[in-house]
Amino acid sequence: MTTTIVLQQAINGVVLGSLYVLVALGLTLIYGVLVQINFAHADFVTLGAFAAYFLMHLVGAGYIVSIGFAFLVGAALGWLINASIFTPLRRKGNELLPLIATIGVSVMMQNLMLAWFGPIPYAFETQYSSEVIRFSGIFVSWQNVIIIAVSSVTIALLYAFMKFTFLGKALRAVSQDRETAGLMGINPNQLIMLTFVIASALAGMAGAMLAPVLVLTPFAGTSVIVKAFAIVIIGGFGNVEGTILAGLIVGLVESYTTQYLDPGLIDIVVFGLLLLMLAIRPTGLISERREENV
Amino acid sequence: MKTEFRALFVGVAAISLLTIGHAAHAQDKTIKIGALFPMSGPGSYFGAQDKQGVGLALEQLNKSGVNGYKFAVQYEDSSCGPLPATQAAKRLIEQFKPDVIIGEECSDATLAVMPIVDQAKVPLLNAGSSSIKVTEPGNSWTFRIMPNEVMQGINLADNAYKRLNARNAVLLFENTNAGIGNAQVFKDTFTKLGGKVLAEIGFGRDVNDFTSIATRVAGLGKIDVIPTYTLEGQGLKITQALAQAGVTKGGGGDAIQIGTIWLPFGFEQKAGKSALGYIRIVQFDPTETRDAVKDFSTAFKAKYNADPTHLNAHAYDQIMLIADVVKRGGKDAQSIRDGLAATKNYSGVTGSVEFDTNNQNTKMDTVHYMETKPDMSWTSLKWN
Amino acid sequence: MSDRAISQQPVERKASLLSRRMGFMLAALSIIALPLIFNDTYWRTNLTICAINVLLALGLDFILGYAGQLNLGHSAFYGLGAYVSTLLIVKLGVPFWGAFVAGVAFSGLAGMFLSLFAVRLRGHYLAIASLGFAVIVYQILLNWISLTQGPLGIYGILPPPPIAIAGTLLVDFRNLAAFFYLVSGFTLVVYLLLDQLVRSPIGETLTAIREDEVSAASLGINGAAWKVFAFGVGAAIGGAAGCFYASFVGTLVPDAFFVTEAFNILAMVIVGGMGTLIGPVFGAILLTLLPEVLRGIGDLRLVVYGAALTFVVLFMPGGLAQAARVVRDKLGFGGQAS
Repeated sequence: MTTTIVLQQAINGVVLGSLYVLVALGLTLIYGVLVQINFAHADFVTLGAFAAYFLMHLVGAGYIVSIGFAFLVGAALGWLINASIFTPLRRKGNELLPLIATIGVSVMMQNLMLAWFGPIPYAFETQYSSEVIRFSGIFVSWQNVIIIAVSSVTIALLYAFMKFTFLGKALRAVSQDRETAGLMGINPNQLIMLTFVIASALAGMAGAMLAPVLVLTPFAGTSVIVKAFAIVIIGGFGNVEGTILAGLIVGLVESYTTQYLDPGLIDIVVFGLLLLMLAIRPTGLISERREENV
Repeated sequence: MKTEFRALFVGVAAISLLTIGHAAHAQDKTIKIGALFPMSGPGSYFGAQDKQGVGLALEQLNKSGVNGYKFAVQYEDSSCGPLPATQAAKRLIEQFKPDVIIGEECSDATLAVMPIVDQAKVPLLNAGSSSIKVTEPGNSWTFRIMPNEVMQGINLADNAYKRLNARNAVLLFENTNAGIGNAQVFKDTFTKLGGKVLAEIGFGRDVNDFTSIATRVAGLGKIDVIPTYTLEGQGLKITQALAQAGVTKGGGGDAIQIGTIWLPFGFEQKAGKSALGYIRIVQFDPTETRDAVKDFSTAFKAKYNADPTHLNAHAYDQIMLIADVVKRGGKDAQSIRDGLAATKNYSGVTGSVEFDTNNQNTKMDTVHYMETKPDMSWTSLKWN
Repeated sequence: MSDRAISQQPVERKASLLSRRMGFMLAALSIIALPLIFNDTYWRTNLTICAINVLLALGLDFILGYAGQLNLGHSAFYGLGAYVSTLLIVKLGVPFWGAFVAGVAFSGLAGMFLSLFAVRLRGHYLAIASLGFAVIVYQILLNWISLTQGPLGIYGILPPPPIAIAGTLLVDFRNLAAFFYLVSGFTLVVYLLLDQLVRSPIGETLTAIREDEVSAASLGINGAAWKVFAFGVGAAIGGAAGCFYASFVGTLVPDAFFVTEAFNILAMVIVGGMGTLIGPVFGAILLTLLPEVLRGIGDLRLVVYGAALTFVVLFMPGGLAQAARVVRDKLGFGGQAS
């Protein structure tokens, strides 16, 4: 009985954690390249969820196609926010300006979505959410299997892209040293745009996969973003491997806190962990050469 | 710039003319109703539905008026929080000068507004706040037509123990004023009767994953009832997760989810077969055969092309009760307050209304029990 | 302007002192006049909320703009001030002003603690540490129900006791104008003290640390200690705002101090102009009144508010303070560079 519970909560934690990873990876990629935070990232998640919902219900598309559509919607949003907010503000020198500007964008987006979609939660059902696999006391819905499969593939692709392609290497070069990138003959502005597009596409996609899990209202993304911040820090700002590990850890912490303590204490445990991390290992789980911040 | 000013001037002049023309009809006296509803943030869940109910009531009333009075409503966004509700109430009272105010939904907001209406001597007619404090002695200007958390909770625990023969319960509730309050009353009553509460699991409104909670519940052994206090969004997720974990009837288990007024009509369609066997109190039962209920449902469907929820019905009843008071001679804040207090057996779509000395509705026919059937329809259980 | 520039131009310094005195007189007069002009309860409430938010913005600006420490968790100090003072009054019967002092001190100490903890961290690490601190404080207020009542809330919190001499009632703070005078008077005093502080050698020390901590250390300045000091001062001011909030609204629930409140305060500072004292004052007033004024347009008011916030940052990156400076320079008056 006990081992079943431990195992079941591990599965629950990994499902949730892999969704957190998709959201947090976007934040971390942007931070890595620009040392800035897009506060509206959460609302990209929400809009991705609604995009998938409406494609399924208005056009009758399948769930997997809708995930792809949310990915594209996210990409478009990323292009838009970089072109309209981050690029104009880059030369102004104050790192807080984009943060505040994107708080404005976030308020605007939430309330526009409220006007369009209304406050009543949408029931996002896919053909996979009610199909449950059971084996010796463990249960997993097909929805969750898809979540784990799609996010693992996405994360693996992203990882391979960063590690092995020229563009990916250039991205990492920019995040470590902007001058080097210039020497490599790459236009940093295009790299920054690419980062935003990838990061936001991940957010949109995460939205489509979170939609059947969380309560789909115009405020859905906000519940994830604060934890995504925590994951980014625990993983070490701008560090992709660290973020993946941290996301899974936070997912597990959440399910085990629910089991053995109280769901009301999740945030205290997660952020307690965060402060502990900062105290003992401020460079994150897997440290890279980013000493100037410490 | 100049043309804008001219346009503005013409606009103002036109409006003034209209107003003068309007006032010239001596018969067209107006009862001004201020509406404090959350219309931004997650609480707009309530506000949007309240507005529909109010809209329908106004449309019906203003066709012919009541005692020569028409009804005008001014909405103010009170955002489900003490400070914004305070500001919204003061703005209403100063600028709109209402004869009566309806709202808020969230208990914290209602409690924060009560001293203000008390000072301004404007009656506040509440429907959706369940905290017992709303109708504690000394709040002579606040009325509530919904049975409070104690009335509902004692009744629910009693029925769970006696009619369902439940002995083991697990409490699931959101960490809000209403969630904690409701759960506490159930626990006190149920344990006094001899039942046992195996776990009390509270969670924030931002919790996403209910699979973990359902897993924990599944590990608690034999459970008869799971009183659940949460709104529609999280409620759906909990019901589905409990079924997935095989705890509730909907998932092949034995436990029955029960609850008080939180979930709307139509919840079971959204939740699908996981909702099977769910027994809960609703304040509005659209399957009732009273004419008032049938007419309301038909009119609502015609106007909004949807089935009415309990929130729609609450708001509708609030306005209709005010109209009833006006019919009985209410014409300003003081007389409407007195009229409300003197209400005897008023029959609304949610049930009947009669206030005790603390202005709490005492009628238990507002507590309707329903059970979700295998075809996702509901049957009225006639327990009250 | 640096110290040297001042000593070289004594005439200008005198002029600047004069204009500061004028500014102070003007501020005092506006404070006295405002509740007389806006004499209904709704506007007097808005005025008092403005004064509370100005206090919050000033505290954060001192940490952020003068000591250069990224604090994303100012809501924590606001909430601690509110809860500590209220709990002392409600549970232990401590008189209001005693509880006020305790609330302010507690918030200040919490700020110093956080700063001490974060003294090794800079930039966004401190930002997230402070955000984490704010999340934890909020969660403690929410979950420690036996102490704070959690989401059940504390109701009927009284305003400060009336001031009476020999049985004659002088000031009754149940009167909204009196409450406004109390908070805005306090805020004005805080402003003047901060103004003195940032112009004193201490202010220059803080600037030196903000600009280049290594060079400052080579001059024998203990950067860490000064940062802790600045964080404590700013947090204590936030605590004072919390004490006023509780006794003004009369109702306390943890949701008022959720982390989004920290972002609101931050927006006030940035929109006003970080690193100036006058900027955040107007930033706070603008962002407090804007959603209220926009109530007239109904459901889309927060869309407009969000758009306004974005555009102010995009087109006035130095905030209102810089925009005012640009306008003043273009019109050609006010010779002194500040």
